[in-house]
Amino acid sequence: MSGRKPRTLVLHGDGVNCEQETAEAFRLVGFEAEIRHLNDLIAERMSLDELSRRYSVLALPGGFSYGDDLTSGKVLALKIRHRLGWNLGAFAERGGLVLGVCNGFQALIRMEVFGKDISITQNAQGKFVDTWIKATPSGTRCAWLRGVGTLELPIRHGEGRVVFAPTRKTELLGKMERQGMTCLRYEGDPNGSEEGLAGLCDPTGRIFGLMPHPEAFVRWTAHPEWTSQPGRASAPGQGLALFENAFKEASHVLG
Amino acid sequence: MFARIEVAMRPEFSDPSAAGFLRKVELAHPEIRRKIRWARLLEVYWLELPASREELIPAITEVFWDRVLQWLFTGNLIPKAAGKHGGIADLLEGAPNRPGKFWAIERRFRPGVTDNVGRTAIEALEIVCGKALPEGRAASGSLVVLEGVELDEELLARVARDVLCNELIETWTVLPESELKNNDRFHPERIRRDIPRVKRESAGTSGARVEELPLEGLGDAELESLSQRRLLALSLAEMRAVRDYFRRPDVQAQRRELGLGAPTDVELEVIAQTWSEHCKHKIFGAAVDYSEDSNTGGKAGIPAQGIPARVESLFKATIAGTTQELPKPWLLSVFKDNAGIVAFDAEDAFCIKVETHNTPSALDPYGGALTGIVGVNRDILGCGLGARPIFNTDVFCVGPLDHSRPLPERILHPRRILGGIRQGVEHGGNKSGIPTVNGALVFDERYLGKPLVYCGTGGFLPRTIAGVPCETKEIRPGDRICMVGGRIGKDGIHGATFSSLALDQDSPVSAVQLGDPITQKRLADFLLEARDLGLYRAVTDNGAGGLSSSVGELATLSGGARMDVARARTKYPGLKPYELTVSESQERMTVAVPPERLPVFLALAERRGVEVSDLGEFNRSGRFDIEYEGKPVGSLQLEFLHEGVPRLELKAVWDGGPPEPKAAHDAGGAIFEARGPELLLSLMGRPNIASKEWLIRQYDHEVQGTSVVKPLHTVGAGTPSAMSGPNDAAVLKPKPGSDAGIAVACGINPKLSDLDPYLMAQAAVDEAVRNVLCVGAEFGNEESVLALVDNFCWPDPVSDPAKMAALVRACYGLREAALALSAPLVSGKDSMKNDFRGKLGGDSVVISVPPTLLMTAVARVSDIRRSRTADFKKAGDALYLLGGNRLGLPGSELAQLEHELHSTEAGVVRPGLPDWQEARRIYSWLGGAQGKEQGKLRSLHDVSEGGLLVAIAEGALARGLGAKVTLPADRDPWALAFGEGFHSFVATVSEEDSSALEAEWKAFGVPAFRLGSVTGFEKLEVTWEPGARSWNVPIKQLRLAWQKGGYWE
Repeated sequence: MSGRKPRTLVLHGDGVNCEQETAEAFRLVGFEAEIRHLNDLIAERMSLDELSRRYSVLALPGGFSYGDDLTSGKVLALKIRHRLGWNLGAFAERGGLVLGVCNGFQALIRMEVFGKDISITQNAQGKFVDTWIKATPSGTRCAWLRGVGTLELPIRHGEGRVVFAPTRKTELLGKMERQGMTCLRYEGDPNGSEEGLAGLCDPTGRIFGLMPHPEAFVRWTAHPEWTSQPGRASAPGQGLALFENAFKEASHVLG
Repeated sequence: MFARIEVAMRPEFSDPSAAGFLRKVELAHPEIRRKIRWARLLEVYWLELPASREELIPAITEVFWDRVLQWLFTGNLIPKAAGKHGGIADLLEGAPNRPGKFWAIERRFRPGVTDNVGRTAIEALEIVCGKALPEGRAASGSLVVLEGVELDEELLARVARDVLCNELIETWTVLPESELKNNDRFHPERIRRDIPRVKRESAGTSGARVEELPLEGLGDAELESLSQRRLLALSLAEMRAVRDYFRRPDVQAQRRELGLGAPTDVELEVIAQTWSEHCKHKIFGAAVDYSEDSNTGGKAGIPAQGIPARVESLFKATIAGTTQELPKPWLLSVFKDNAGIVAFDAEDAFCIKVETHNTPSALDPYGGALTGIVGVNRDILGCGLGARPIFNTDVFCVGPLDHSRPLPERILHPRRILGGIRQGVEHGGNKSGIPTVNGALVFDERYLGKPLVYCGTGGFLPRTIAGVPCETKEIRPGDRICMVGGRIGKDGIHGATFSSLALDQDSPVSAVQLGDPITQKRLADFLLEARDLGLYRAVTDNGAGGLSSSVGELATLSGGARMDVARARTKYPGLKPYELTVSESQERMTVAVPPERLPVFLALAERRGVEVSDLGEFNRSGRFDIEYEGKPVGSLQLEFLHEGVPRLELKAVWDGGPPEPKAAHDAGGAIFEARGPELLLSLMGRPNIASKEWLIRQYDHEVQGTSVVKPLHTVGAGTPSAMSGPNDAAVLKPKPGSDAGIAVACGINPKLSDLDPYLMAQAAVDEAVRNVLCVGAEFGNEESVLALVDNFCWPDPVSDPAKMAALVRACYGLREAALALSAPLVSGKDSMKNDFRGKLGGDSVVISVPPTLLMTAVARVSDIRRSRTADFKKAGDALYLLGGNRLGLPGSELAQLEHELHSTEAGVVRPGLPDWQEARRIYSWLGGAQGKEQGKLRSLHDVSEGGLLVAIAEGALARGLGAKVTLPADRDPWALAFGEGFHSFVATVSEEDSSALEAEWKAFGVPAFRLGSVTGFEKLEVTWEPGARSWNVPIKQLRLAWQKGGYWE
């Protein structure tokens, strides 16, 4: 298997809408990226084995799958669970990496990748918001965030408030923190997310979901203040670091 | 089985939807808001499913219940999904005042209204049950639960009507506590009743469902009454032409052959749709006699050049004619398609279209704006061989949000209008994954009757698609007529004819539609895939007029068409043939598919979850034949259908406009000192000027990853001290592998219509062009790509020569400006019936919009790395006014403010007039055709609403900087500080670059005044009459006024 370019499967269909720029971000760092329609994967009955064999990374891009009806990411998660039956934890254990951005993160939460006592709901202010935030990684568990400092990225969502089952919150948070799962926090409070959580990873650190959009900041000219430093116009954006980490990791796995 | 599911947030979590509802109640009825002590908002679902209880309980649990967040109240179905009481009592316990007095308002859709969530619920249940549920039905709604001892049924009814529901599409019920606490509403019989259902009309044979409407022998009065009764919106002359067509022996012979007798309702409806003002633009095609009233008695007229006494067609003379005089090599397709197509580079092209959706938005602001945006998206999908939408723009003109006088019957408060259209564009754009990158908001009393909702979309497409040039639209006989996407219902029947009439209190409900962004997203993804595989030959959208327009228009490409409307998929049974033909149900496109590619096309559609109805075929018959279950129900000659409409003859008389205002006192000094700071602060907070951040941040303006210049630039993003300021235009980078970009901006200035629509149109062009120049657009070379889109929204000019003269003048103003700037018009749309006729307290009222022209400019940016923004960058930078000779107070925001304050106008009262020679010099330098130092500009911002000082304040407030400004001594400080007009910009450059730039400006004839410097103190200091007088205002105050004035909930 060595020598080939690591491959990313970028999921598409039913209202996903960031598939192009997500695929582009993976390509920029050296991946081969394939945008595949969920219905095609279902039609060809792509098994977890097949997924692991063909792809190093599964990416669930942002968007409005099923229009956010019945809560964000919900129906997409049901479709993946019932029609493909993928166990993402097993994919990660076999060396796969998973990225869920925004609606993809919401779907990962609904698939209970981060546990069944976590959910995500309407922003505290009750509104969709498009704004740039700062988010700081914590711990070393998350394979996507290794060596990454504070990130400036856009958030663009109406449902980004991460919440925990009230009765189990303290216990759960303690456990997740010990496992390094609470890996990305906002500076400030853009949406009421508990503990300022902007992203989570699974205990392996290989499945990572976040509300901010790293694929939207792969060139410096996407930053809302870049014209004050025109000299950097050709520089890469901070979001690219996540994809570079994934490339290193995937290349390492491929040997 | 039946189920009713109420989904509530657990009391441990805040309920942002309920909070949002309460904020709306506060604005509409503060006195009722004070009586509400607690509120929660529940989602409600009604289900009827052909499955067993055992099968359904786990499925419902999985689909509807988030255990962490929610409780479900289901009667006795799933008691464990609620709290300890197993029902709504659990929720009521969370109210702070106990024992309280509880109420609820339930909201449901009316039958036939699109219910997106209901549709998704069925899909989700199908996924979980692992089988199709074709007989399954699901409806969604909501339940607001409130507590307050002083509430009563009547108060809650007011809340339901004014805040919660739009009664055109929704119904409501107030539930007292007793009903809330009992379980009657979960009873199967009750659920069955509560699921909205379209009543089936007593089915007859299909033949009986086509009505014959004999025209032979009808007199004028009868023809007119028929047109009115059937909502045909056809004039007497048009009705006569229709009658005479059916009289023709060749037509009669042909009809006999087909078994058709008298004209059918299908045929009259098709003619009415095709000939509607909305589709045919009869006013723009009319012959117009134009004259100017010689007795204008001291009135101000702007010298308008070149308006002839007889115009054969305003469209041909001033719109298409203008573009013909500007034959640019990069124009690929203009005026003949859904949108104009322009070359981007050797491989790709872009296209643009801007639509209006005024009438639907007046009735149902949310649905109207939503269908407006997804509708114009389809124009782009159906442009050439199909383009991918890459940005949306939105411009709203509404009444003042603080309007507090009684409203005429059936008019919604501007706050509800704006709230609804904002949300419609949010859902339409965000859910489709298309960034909303540019827009404007205009407030004026005269938009109370009809708001203007402009929705624009830009698209991107390869110049060659499957071996064919992208602008090709070709159909061969035998190609299949395929309707793709949504199904047909009664929604939107008569949309096109209806928007061609004035709005009144009896306007029909069926004209309202709701959009479904997800069905459309699937449709769009599918079509672009099919396009690249070369599976179809031509495509167009189903918008106004439905199949009648889309197939009727495409039929001209092959020379005829035959379709069987019974083959179209419908939302529910019982639609009549004419309804199938003209319904404007959303999310549909019509595609011409070569028969040999049909199987592949159908297979791909099925895999993408997109429905296709194969309706018939294109042919060369010269006719548009419509059948129902194989039996002809209509047959019209294409030539008559498309060319047979009698031409309008209109009169236009210009009376010179309002009298020229006179200055009441000397320009200057003392008053400027006394009132300047206070007026500047007031201006910053004026809704037309104030921050639009509230609106902008609820739109995704960055999806697709192409954003370079955003609607706002932000300093310190993600920190508590984040500051945002406005940008003039958006810049996008549409291709990952290229640093070329697209700039898009708009210009709109209806206030100037009161002065002269000629000037208004020129100002709109100038502003749109200046805005794209600000961010770095090319200008001035033959290959510079700069194109314009015009959107006229007018009060009905048909029988009003003054309004018609206003239209003529605006068209010629537009023409002069576009020619002078060498900017061709590539697309446009007009809406000519923007009047409301209704009743206010028993009296008749008419509210007409001011003549309003929106200009949208799109331009290429050679290298996005050299894009500019409007914010001042650094203390110590030199501050310049570029242009600046063409500013005036009449028609300015200051003049309007003074008028509202009833204070005498100060300053020299002379309107700013354009000088296109000067404009070309300035713009050619900015656009890179002259000189080489443009890259040294650190910021550039146009001087528009509010004038120079407002522009400077906007540049300073985004970065916590200030400015020290000295107004030139030889100029009237009022006109310079607050005047609006043409060709002017505020620029900053570093002090060390200033001499190089000044030399270049001098060399290229760019007027430039050194105003002063950017400072590090948050203060705007203004000096005039050199050294003699000055005042200053803290930037923080200006920023606060700007932000506060622009926050609307």
